[in-house]
Amino acid sequence: MTITEQSARLFVKPSAWQRLRSKFSVLFASKIAVIGLVIVLFWVLAAIFAPLLTPYSPTAQDYKAQNSGPSAAHILGTDDLGRDLWARLIYGARVVLVILPVGDHFWLPGGTAIWGVALGLLIGITLGLMGGYLGGWVDEVVMRLLDAMMAFPVILLYMIIIAAVGASATNVVLAIAIVGTPGIARLVRSLALDIRTRDYIRAAEIRGENPFFIMFVEILPNARGPIIIDAMLRVGYAIFAMGTLGFLGLGLPPPSADWGSMVAAGRRYILSGSPWAALWPSLAIATLVVGLNLLADGLREESLRYQ
Amino acid sequence: MAKFIVRRLLLMLLTMFLVSVAVFAITTAAPGNVARNVLGIQITKEQEASFLAQNGLDKPAYQRYLFWLVGTDWRAANKVGLPVEQITTKDGFKEWWAVADDGVLLRWKLEGENLTVQRRQPDGTVKEENDNSRWQVKDAASEAARLEAYRETLLQNAQLTDADRQAILQPLDQILAGLRAGETGRGAEPIPAWLSQAEAELEILRDPKASQQKQALQKAATGITSKDSLIQTTVVFQTLSSPAASSLKSSDFQFMAGQLNRAAVKLKDLNPPISEQLKRAYESLKAGAAGAAQAALAEAIPTVNQLTGNFGALTAALQNGEYQQAAAVFQDLSDPAKTPLDAAQLTVLVDILKLAEMNFKDANADLSKVLKQAIKDMQAGNLDSARAAFGQSAGMLVEMGSVIARNDAAGLAKVGRMFWGIDTQNHAVRWETGSGKEVWVFIQGTGWKAFSGGPMEYIPLQRGLLRGDPGVSLRTGRPVADLLFIRLRNSLVLAGTAFVIVMPLALILGIIAGLNEGKTLDRLLSIGGMMFSVTPEFATGIFLILIFAFWLQLVPGATVFGEKAPWTRPDMLVLPVMTLTLVELGYVLRITRASMVDVMKAPYIRTAFLKGLPYWRVVMKHAVRNALMAPITVIMLHVNWLLGGIVVVEVIFGYPGLGSYLLDSALFKDFNAIEGGAMILVMVAVSTQLLADIVYTFINPRIRYA
Repeated sequence: MTITEQSARLFVKPSAWQRLRSKFSVLFASKIAVIGLVIVLFWVLAAIFAPLLTPYSPTAQDYKAQNSGPSAAHILGTDDLGRDLWARLIYGARVVLVILPVGDHFWLPGGTAIWGVALGLLIGITLGLMGGYLGGWVDEVVMRLLDAMMAFPVILLYMIIIAAVGASATNVVLAIAIVGTPGIARLVRSLALDIRTRDYIRAAEIRGENPFFIMFVEILPNARGPIIIDAMLRVGYAIFAMGTLGFLGLGLPPPSADWGSMVAAGRRYILSGSPWAALWPSLAIATLVVGLNLLADGLREESLRYQ
Repeated sequence: MAKFIVRRLLLMLLTMFLVSVAVFAITTAAPGNVARNVLGIQITKEQEASFLAQNGLDKPAYQRYLFWLVGTDWRAANKVGLPVEQITTKDGFKEWWAVADDGVLLRWKLEGENLTVQRRQPDGTVKEENDNSRWQVKDAASEAARLEAYRETLLQNAQLTDADRQAILQPLDQILAGLRAGETGRGAEPIPAWLSQAEAELEILRDPKASQQKQALQKAATGITSKDSLIQTTVVFQTLSSPAASSLKSSDFQFMAGQLNRAAVKLKDLNPPISEQLKRAYESLKAGAAGAAQAALAEAIPTVNQLTGNFGALTAALQNGEYQQAAAVFQDLSDPAKTPLDAAQLTVLVDILKLAEMNFKDANADLSKVLKQAIKDMQAGNLDSARAAFGQSAGMLVEMGSVIARNDAAGLAKVGRMFWGIDTQNHAVRWETGSGKEVWVFIQGTGWKAFSGGPMEYIPLQRGLLRGDPGVSLRTGRPVADLLFIRLRNSLVLAGTAFVIVMPLALILGIIAGLNEGKTLDRLLSIGGMMFSVTPEFATGIFLILIFAFWLQLVPGATVFGEKAPWTRPDMLVLPVMTLTLVELGYVLRITRASMVDVMKAPYIRTAFLKGLPYWRVVMKHAVRNALMAPITVIMLHVNWLLGGIVVVEVIFGYPGLGSYLLDSALFKDFNAIEGGAMILVMVAVSTQLLADIVYTFINPRIRYA
């Protein structure tokens, strides 16, 4: 009786809450991952609730307070045009993490960095699966293409793409996606090469499944772990890249709040005695990228431990 | 091994070819305008076309790529009929000359309609002489068609008086009749008598001073526009309203905003509401909102035009050669119904007229004197006599205009001649007379000059990349190769210094972290390393500037080398090197650590311990060498990434390296410079990968490349 109850309990499906908790337990097992999560959540929440967190608009100029340091009115100070730095910082986080401005009055949910990585994932996964699973000449062509892309200095690719097509959020997404694709495709290809030798793939082939069904429904879900961790690191790279592009004058066009271009504008006033406009956005981008890396590192460490 | 290296080198050439095609395709297909980037936004269409032509950018894309690859001198030699040759002068300038049959070096220049040949003497000096005999009459049929069409425009030319028109029509009809009969001299044949007679008749109508006057008037118009902020406001408005507004860059907006700001300050007391309006436009423009600025300006412009007595229209008309319209502006000024000459207008107008008086001196001293008198009258309150002076000015402009128009019209009625030669600016040029087109030529040192009957087609001379010449920078007009190697050297100094510091430090720290896996020291080192390696270089750079240059004031926060080499100022190298070091340190450290951890778990290490070898001996003899394999290859493959870091570090500190050169070139779409830089970057990236592969075989003899 007790034995059957026990064995019955073993076969009861865990509730949704339990499954969720077991997934996140990996996360909470690592202190580093928790610290990373806190930092990332801080920026995500600040970005989502940006309009509630500051009375100022990120583009409103105040001619009476230019390049002022932190004060009661402006907690982080103001930039050279008298714009509130805290407001610009959290609206800048919005563009990175929460919204993708497409036109003047139109935006998509999901930040610029997130869209860049998502697009890179889409192209990279397709190329990688095709190369890894189909093999033969498809693999050869895909790999040579990726080799050529990797031989191209990344920064040159960024500069030429953006300088050529002009600075806008959509183009930054494109640039991030193009630069990220080869790495993702290589990872997915190596995973696909491994997984395609498994028995369940053989079974699917014998069932006569469509190769695309096998690639996307059989192989992809089984390769998701490393892809997710890689994607998290890539969001970090994407934010890094966005900042660098903005700093080089190739990011979002003014007057939109963009961390990189804020630093580029603010650094001109450092030696004249107002470091704040350059300091805060540098700090913001550094903390966000470090937070994401801590999170990904912690997750990777924990998931390796249980393998 | 040799086979492997050859294969990799061939692969490098293929990659370079693909990269050059890709860079070329992207820069060609992309919107944007090199001419505007280099010369500023307020150049005219003619100037833009001339710039594009002089740099060979008006040719089809495949041809430009081919020229860039294999050079243009062979093509130029074909056109000129003489071989062309590049020489280096004593001052280090590279010049192109045609070689005559007797070995003398030749170049030509066109002054008015006179062709002058320069003969280079063996001692480097130049002898000039007239060389008009080289002109060849253009194709009779096409010239007949052109003159036929020109006859129609002549009949409608509003700038000409009726008498002048008749005087020109008569010889023109003679020439047309002769051309239709097909009796022209071609090539070396002498010019027929009827043609020289008709052309002599036309020559009588021409005034040698007229073309100078025309240029002087244009220059005056430009001079007035560039000095007066209110007239600039009208130009800014036109720029913003034109279709080209969408291609303006942020720096253009800043430039125009500055002009609006000066205009706003000027009108502050005279007309506060308009000043406010201009201030609003200035703010929108400064923030980058061109549409809002244009809307704000649209309201202000009618009043600004009224205040300036429509002088903006006058300068525009003079620049376009519409003298009657320009005179009409003066006519309006003399009319009390149209121009009240109230207090505000007087102030503004006196300023503008002072500028006009100064600028018109070259074109027409009398006009200048009349305007000076008008200023005096206005200041003394004699408005009627000032109005009379304006009327007189209008008359003088009309008269000048008709002389210039007659000169131009008579010149165009002549049969065109052409000549292919080498000019003094290193182009092969097709010169033509009587084509009716006016050509703006930018001469370094003197600025823009308009030539009627001038160069119609340019082939910029270059030897081509395959023969070691990446061409001339569009931005600076200097050979790309000269600057590229200095910049590359500077970047190598920066990267090399950082490399020498990073390598031992990162490898030692990485080994220490690896040996202490899981302990606090390891955590500290690997998390610290990670933080530095993932933080963008510009953020790290800003932190270092703030700490070491701003708060502690130990070292300079920017680099200024001028012509000097970077190693002459080591203190300025400290922060750039430190930034690169911090960013690279973490990366190499983490890889070394991971590799060390792996090796320490290997069975042969355990065996060594079990044999009773001392700890440090096991580490130094057995572990380290194996653990260094991964980091050394990864570092070499990491060069691509490092190059990105160098660009940013160079921009932060204003360091004159290859990266900042490439960035500036990319922003300007300076095609030759981008391509040259890209080729070097690809070469560096691919050759370091090759080096990594070779080094790897020495560290790990098990690997063989077959």
